[in-house]
Amino acid sequence: MSNDEKPKIGVYICHCGENIAGAVDVKAVAEFAKTLPDVVVVRDYLFMCSDPGQELIKQDIKEGLVNRVVVAACTPRTHEPIFRKACEDAGLNKYYFEMANIRDQCSWAHWHEKEKATEKAKVIIASAVAKARLLEPLEDRYIDLKKEVLVIGGGIAGIFASLDLANAGFKVHLVEKSPSIGGNMAKLDKTFPTNDCSACILTPLMVEVANHPNINLLTYSEVESITGSVGNFKVKVRKKQTYVDWNKCTGCGACLDVCPPKARVPDEFNEGMSLRGAIYIPFPQAVPKKAVVDMNACIKCGGRDFSGKEPRKSKSGKPILAPCERVCPTGAADRTPYRDPNGEIVELEVGAIIVATGYKVMDKSYFKEFSPHHPNVITAMQMERLISATGPSEGKLIKPSDIPKLLEAKKKGEKIEVEKPKTITFISCVGSRDNRYHTYCSRVCCMYMLKQAMILKEKYPDLDIYIFFIDVRTPGKEFDEYYMRCRQLGIKIIKGRAGGIQVLPGDKLLVKGYDAEVCRPVEVITDIAVLATAIEPDNTLRDLARTLGINVGAEGFLKERHTKLYPVDTMTEGIFIAGCAQGPKDIPDSVAQAKAAAASAMSLLEPGKMTVEPLISEVDKEKCTGCGVCVPLCPYGAISLVKHEDKLKSEINPALCKGCGVCTAACPSKAITLHGFTYEQVLAQIKTIAKWPEIQT
Amino acid sequence: MIEPEEGVPTILNLSEISEREREEEEKVVDIVREFGAENLIYCMQCGSCAAVCPLARVGFEWYNKKLIKALLLGLKEELLDDPTPWACVACNRCTEVCPRRVSPFEVMFAVRRMMVEEFAIPTLAIEGLRALYEYGHAVYMTGREARKKVGLPEKPPSTDSDEKALKDLKTILRNTKLAELGLIPMND
Repeated sequence: MSNDEKPKIGVYICHCGENIAGAVDVKAVAEFAKTLPDVVVVRDYLFMCSDPGQELIKQDIKEGLVNRVVVAACTPRTHEPIFRKACEDAGLNKYYFEMANIRDQCSWAHWHEKEKATEKAKVIIASAVAKARLLEPLEDRYIDLKKEVLVIGGGIAGIFASLDLANAGFKVHLVEKSPSIGGNMAKLDKTFPTNDCSACILTPLMVEVANHPNINLLTYSEVESITGSVGNFKVKVRKKQTYVDWNKCTGCGACLDVCPPKARVPDEFNEGMSLRGAIYIPFPQAVPKKAVVDMNACIKCGGRDFSGKEPRKSKSGKPILAPCERVCPTGAADRTPYRDPNGEIVELEVGAIIVATGYKVMDKSYFKEFSPHHPNVITAMQMERLISATGPSEGKLIKPSDIPKLLEAKKKGEKIEVEKPKTITFISCVGSRDNRYHTYCSRVCCMYMLKQAMILKEKYPDLDIYIFFIDVRTPGKEFDEYYMRCRQLGIKIIKGRAGGIQVLPGDKLLVKGYDAEVCRPVEVITDIAVLATAIEPDNTLRDLARTLGINVGAEGFLKERHTKLYPVDTMTEGIFIAGCAQGPKDIPDSVAQAKAAAASAMSLLEPGKMTVEPLISEVDKEKCTGCGVCVPLCPYGAISLVKHEDKLKSEINPALCKGCGVCTAACPSKAITLHGFTYEQVLAQIKTIAKWPEIQT
Repeated sequence: MIEPEEGVPTILNLSEISEREREEEEKVVDIVREFGAENLIYCMQCGSCAAVCPLARVGFEWYNKKLIKALLLGLKEELLDDPTPWACVACNRCTEVCPRRVSPFEVMFAVRRMMVEEFAIPTLAIEGLRALYEYGHAVYMTGREARKKVGLPEKPPSTDSDEKALKDLKTILRNTKLAELGLIPMND
């Protein structure tokens, strides 16, 4: 079939079951389509994307009836590739295809205005036909793919994504902003629904990551910038200044205890319930187990400030050393050499990126009704630390208000007895399912409250435990059975979110609630109140998304390409998401997503090259004046000015061009053509719509 | 006529209830489990028992679902004056529909047993017990005149008209805990 042949357009109208036919009079639209110029065949079918539907198109092409195809159906996002493939299979250049969206943009939007919907469907089809008359044949192009992957975030999702890719032979660069990988899971005591110890199942994986020959672990690092596109991303990573020579540091921890009290700040790992020094190792099982100096906390003992100065004692002339330096057996904490506070930039080239940056727990201070200033009103994450063997009380259940006393005594080597808590009360949905804060359900709170309650009740059977729920949500494997076990243990479930906490004299808290089951206001005098505060997107997630060019949903989590069908893909090809950065989820779901993201990255990169649509811009060197307007406008850095017959002309790198059309629209000499969306094609479409309804003959 | 509900306070202080249980060294949940409602702790408060319960329909407050929750919270004394368990007609619909095999009916009866043990039996129940002892029917027979009019014997062909059976029944009842309580006169 010759490409120069006069257009013979086939219009194929899909009913999409009732989705289109329920609002649009398909028969009337079909009759109308027959009157459009160059249209030779019009057919309608229940589901055009089905096998017999596609067969209708293929048959007409094979029989030479049509050489341009317009399908009026749903969205090109999901279905354009299917119909293009049908055209190609029948021997037609697949870019002789045009799609008219009469579902999402017509029948669905105007479901209750059937006449107007029918009218609009006609306009949309007429405009698609106008473009189809001017379509050009195009050829696909290929790009090479770099078989390396950047994984951002070293929590359980990032760890699994990295391991799966590394085991499959891909080089992985794992970037984690804190000094250790492990993420939030490292803080947890036990994990539902099996109650296995979090550290026991996580630590071996962390070690495996650190030792894997295919994983380049970059902790205490952050992604600075990203350019390029799928298959060839160029990434700049900032390795933050640790102020400790990691080549020498053995993680012995000698420096931790000598850091002076003035330099002590709330310990992030213990959710602020204890203090850590300015020089610290995040937690005992940290990977890598290396110390860093927190410059915001460091008081630069003895004037040792990494500036290269070497202060000496005025009398003896001996060098003055900071305590951490003095005790460091390997010289890793040496403060003499100059260290750049900006750290170091590492440049990477990767084919794909997996974002697994996790979440943060919502702060309790927003909830004034629950007396958040009181030390015994804690978040559930603080409760995790309180019951963890590596926590501030080494796993012994005490009132958080007694922690400072206990730590002080421990420092002095004394043993003290503190009053044992008798009652613990949990409050659900604090900040979740709340239109003032977050509309979504944080998904894990019901289960972790039950988990903490179960662990506590089994360990201390005399404890009275109350859980205030709006409702108990346990939609996971073996979750409801877990919940029932809690009820059988005598944990008291109150249906109704508590309304307030009042501080009583003598360190007691009065929780006021309502039990919708006995229809009575209820009150509980409690020693500790645990608020199940919401799972939130991390503060820096929005900025990271901007750097990566991926979308964030209204609630602030990363947006997947399609909720059901492309749950780990983003709108930017080659960038995948996993874990709680996409939305609140538990460990099983985070791991499943991480493995899915790793598999998606593998199937993308494994072939080594990929087809790219030829729908990109091209410069007509004859028309180009070399003004350079287009160069800074290109979001992909694909355009440069190149000497051409002694004159500067703009040139587009086809490997980088994504076909966004910005340069095409901006070019004052109309020298740039965006293939698939030429001036003629777009103007023909606009003209058709603008002249409606006169164009209707 | 439903007696105005007095026993359960307007605001429940759960800590006080728990403290009381601790002092008494006995949990109400364990008492009723002992009295036949073993599966009480499996209740998830779905409410299907209440949906079919005739007591809930006519306005008794502490029908099956609510009674179970009150017990789970540790209420005991507060419930002792309540007539609801004695109004249970033992239709057993709740047992049929319960997804957790709690048998709410058994809970009702376990609470009756607990009440008897505590010597807290409402008038409603005493009338029934007296009738049971006198005639072998817990529901007092009012239809004697009507039976006579239509030519039926005054007493139905049950324990009521069977002197020996009634005597046996009285003997049985005199040998139960009911006699120990001395709630009703138990003459031959």
